[in-house]
Amino acid sequence: MLSALIVLPILGSLLLFLGLGGRKLAVALAGILLGISLLLFANFDLQAEGLQWVQRWDWIPAIGLSYSLGLDGFSLLMVALNGLLTLIAVLTAEPEVKRPNLLYGCILLMSGSVNGAFVAQNLLLFFLFYELVLIPIYLLISIWGSPKRDYAAIKFLIYTAVSAIFLLGAFLAIYWLGDPHSFELLEIRITSLSPVAQTLTLLALIVAFGIKMPLIPFHTWLPDAYGESSPPVAILLGGILSKLGTYGLFRFGLQLFPQAWADLGGILAWWGAIAVLSGALAAIAQKDIKRMVAYSSIGHMGYILLGMAAATPISLTGAMVQMVSHGLILALLFDLVGLVERKVGTRDLNVLNGLLNPLRGLPTVSALLILGGMASAGIPGLVGFVAEFLIFQGSYQDFPLPTLISICGTGLTAVYFVILLNRTCFGRLDNRTAYYPRVHGWERIPGLILTALIVWFGIQPMNLVKWPQPLAFTLSTQVAQAQTLILASAGDLAPITLSGADPGKRETSRN
Amino acid sequence: MTTTLTARKLPPSTHPFADIVHRLEAGGSMLPDTPENLMQIIGLYKAYAVPMDFYWRDLLYIAEQVFVDPLPFFKFIIPEEYLKLANHYAGDNADLRIWRGQATAHPELLEFMEKGELKRKLPRILHHLWHDRINMEFAEECMRAMLWHRDMGGLLDPYMDSEEYKQNADRAIRAYCQGNPLLMGLYKLFPDMFLELCRQATMYSVLGLFWEVMAPVFFEMSDLYDEGKITSVPEAMNFLVNGIFAIAGRPIYHRVRIRGEWYDIVPKSKGFTWLYEAAFPYVEAVFYRTSPFRGTKSYNAQANEVPTNQLDFHYGILYADKFPVGTAGIPPTLLHQDMYHFLPQYLVEYYRKHCRGEEDMLIQLGVSFQRSMYNVTSAVIQAGRAAFLYPLDDPNPRHLMMNRRYFEGQLNRFTRPEYGIREAARLAYIQDQNYR
Amino acid sequence: MPDIVDIAVSAEGFSTLVTAVKAANLVDTLKSPGPFTVFAPTDAAFAKLPPGTITTLVQNIPQLTRILCYHVVPGRLKKADLAKYQSVGSVEGSPIDLLIEGDVFEVNNATVIQADIEADNGIIHVIDTVILMRPHWFWPIMNSALAASARG
Repeated sequence: MLSALIVLPILGSLLLFLGLGGRKLAVALAGILLGISLLLFANFDLQAEGLQWVQRWDWIPAIGLSYSLGLDGFSLLMVALNGLLTLIAVLTAEPEVKRPNLLYGCILLMSGSVNGAFVAQNLLLFFLFYELVLIPIYLLISIWGSPKRDYAAIKFLIYTAVSAIFLLGAFLAIYWLGDPHSFELLEIRITSLSPVAQTLTLLALIVAFGIKMPLIPFHTWLPDAYGESSPPVAILLGGILSKLGTYGLFRFGLQLFPQAWADLGGILAWWGAIAVLSGALAAIAQKDIKRMVAYSSIGHMGYILLGMAAATPISLTGAMVQMVSHGLILALLFDLVGLVERKVGTRDLNVLNGLLNPLRGLPTVSALLILGGMASAGIPGLVGFVAEFLIFQGSYQDFPLPTLISICGTGLTAVYFVILLNRTCFGRLDNRTAYYPRVHGWERIPGLILTALIVWFGIQPMNLVKWPQPLAFTLSTQVAQAQTLILASAGDLAPITLSGADPGKRETSRN
Repeated sequence: MTTTLTARKLPPSTHPFADIVHRLEAGGSMLPDTPENLMQIIGLYKAYAVPMDFYWRDLLYIAEQVFVDPLPFFKFIIPEEYLKLANHYAGDNADLRIWRGQATAHPELLEFMEKGELKRKLPRILHHLWHDRINMEFAEECMRAMLWHRDMGGLLDPYMDSEEYKQNADRAIRAYCQGNPLLMGLYKLFPDMFLELCRQATMYSVLGLFWEVMAPVFFEMSDLYDEGKITSVPEAMNFLVNGIFAIAGRPIYHRVRIRGEWYDIVPKSKGFTWLYEAAFPYVEAVFYRTSPFRGTKSYNAQANEVPTNQLDFHYGILYADKFPVGTAGIPPTLLHQDMYHFLPQYLVEYYRKHCRGEEDMLIQLGVSFQRSMYNVTSAVIQAGRAAFLYPLDDPNPRHLMMNRRYFEGQLNRFTRPEYGIREAARLAYIQDQNYR
Repeated sequence: MPDIVDIAVSAEGFSTLVTAVKAANLVDTLKSPGPFTVFAPTDAAFAKLPPGTITTLVQNIPQLTRILCYHVVPGRLKKADLAKYQSVGSVEGSPIDLLIEGDVFEVNNATVIQADIEADNGIIHVIDTVILMRPHWFWPIMNSALAASARG
């Protein structure tokens, strides 16, 4: 079942590379992917502990690579987000885009690999999919987009390659230094590594995924990559690829290294707070609307790190919900900003003006932009508030000062969005140049879908929150226990207690 | 292209709008002479004239019968007699037949009043609530502009403050309030308020009499264009100039009908004329000045955006930014909505081909309307020149220099640097055919 | 000596003016001792007005009266007397601008083609254009052009 999530898009991409299908095939496949995730939602058992739809096939035992998949609430959310954003990205692409088959093929290939990364339960398999993503995304950035896209694509490639080096190093450390030698998530006993080794490996993982998220100071590839790529690619980059970083940090950082994570908690919380502030402050200074949204993305990743650092059930839930929320909101913003650029012809804040004009402007796009800005700033009633509130509520107890600073960051989000909306949407159209083509009905569809979801989850958050909650509780308990252990003593304790529940209990086979 | 004088006796002008000055001196308009411009302005004259037919009738109804009613809820429900009122300048019994058509209400207007936008007969109240009617609010806004900018010239304005006027008003108001003790009590308590309401009713009458003339002028221009007799913008302008002179002497008065009797508030015998007491004040108050529309202009006092001197207001059609039109409520939008219903077919086809076609027709016709009003203003300017200065082909260079001073002075009103008037004026924009 | 009305009736080229004066019931006024200084437009002057202008005026006597009164100045003012002034007040109430320099004798936008015709109750100056009251904005507009060019 889970293999369908990986195989279908990859097969579809191969068909497209061969020149068959086209936009219709891409839309159909993206729709099917989304449909599969909805099926998974319907059949997911919230009460069961552990993974569902577990599959395992020993692919290359010699190097420990096995094709093992599994899904819990968190990965289910990520898979669904991936399906949705793939569909949105395909719908956002211009109909007259050049080399459409290549574009849709790359999008689908990337989508399939990301799905594979989300459901992989084997470290090497995860790494395989993580690397597989690079090829299509490099093509996507460098072929379609703004003039400086070559530079942006190469920069992105180099950064991600470095990230992969750190990642591979960390995984190999876990394999070789661990006992038993295994890449399987369920088989790894992290306590078999010495505390120093654990901390260093975790640090390597943080750097690796920090480049992907990105975290300050590893973020410098992001403004260029997001700013220079075309709207569908920006949606995918910001909406789903950055989530690969946070997902990895959850799965392989927090979940595998509860004790080391508890050690680093304070630093990570401050790191998150600083990321929030610097992202927001940098965004305020931007004159290009796409870059402004890009920096806002950096800021919003800081909340996730803060929530993860605190590792309370609520804050972890919040961090996972923030991943989805940020994906939705960022997709909406990039879609709208892309439409503005396409119709008006510029992204410069100094030139844009008066787009809310009902007859000559882009009224629907501007209205949705206002809503997207509100959602990003965390206005209640929209999904952004749900995520941020959970994070702040959960983190305040453990890290009051970073939480307060992050709350200030939320306020600053409102600042730059008001700047954006004030210059872009309000004001008067320039009579000499304001003869823009109209926005067609079908061009509005992606924005409307995303808006509907943002509002729906804002009003009925439990529909979103209930999925990652069990995992959040489990992980939080692990970290809490690790913390008590640190506080109590550094003595010998049975490994079983540390790695959480009995490994035997975690496999609830579905197939 | 406008015809140039065979012997240009003056050196070229050094005014920022020098080419427009030369065009005016050659007998042209501020609007360039192109077939496209001509089509636009004639189409809009026709589209403006049909609602104007309603406006002047309702304005006279309000001036004559609603008078000083403090809560006039039904002032826009025009009685049949006013729809059948004969226009003095059209029809068989006209004083001076400007339009060869009929004197009673225009058939397109009657059809619209019957069926509205939906072209279906629904109860009147539904049409009214859905605002599917002629928007009288625009006419009232013009009246209010004339009332607020009272010192725009003519003898009517000082007359409205004179004793004679007050006595006339008093007599009429007493007759109006007779038999209604509540109203009479109110009048005793607040005589000045009723006097001011009476002045407002006088302005209703002035505007109604002004537009009674303009409607047949516009109808005739449209008919002549359809027959092929008007072929250039200067010809259209000259028709207006001749029209202005022909009706310059039309009396301006205000009389009230109370229980079958006519009471004169501003009698015809005072000698007030259409040209001095209606046309010039109207152009000054409505084309140039009016008032800033709420929602489109900042009232920030520190920013000095709205002039402290009311004479410096620059919010009329000649300065209007047409793009914000499309939001409901401000009077220009209401007028555009009215004109939208009566556009001639050739204009609708034309608009469909440009900008966003059907969707932003309101703005497209707004820009065409602006062009047409610049043409009317040019006609007023040329009429002023003909009345107070010298013919365009006057052999005396000193006379020609006076003419030039006059034209340049008129155009200076569009290039003033204060309050950003220079950026607000649309004179430069209408020279460009791509301004839509 | 004949009075103003007699001169106008007997002379050639004032038939329109005489008709207008009669229609406006100003005959008795212009026959009274006065004295009046009248700027009399010729028939050619009236013909220069666009068609319909006279028709409308003749239909509305008070308005016609006002225009005719604008051509009358109280007093017995010859060209030499008028030369002292930049403008004189008409019976209608609005001022008439004067330009008298050497051979040039102009009132508003009309040229005086024959000046100083003596009558029993006043003076007649014959003008070639019907003069109309200049609105209050006229001179500010004319002067704004000068001010603008002075500003450069």
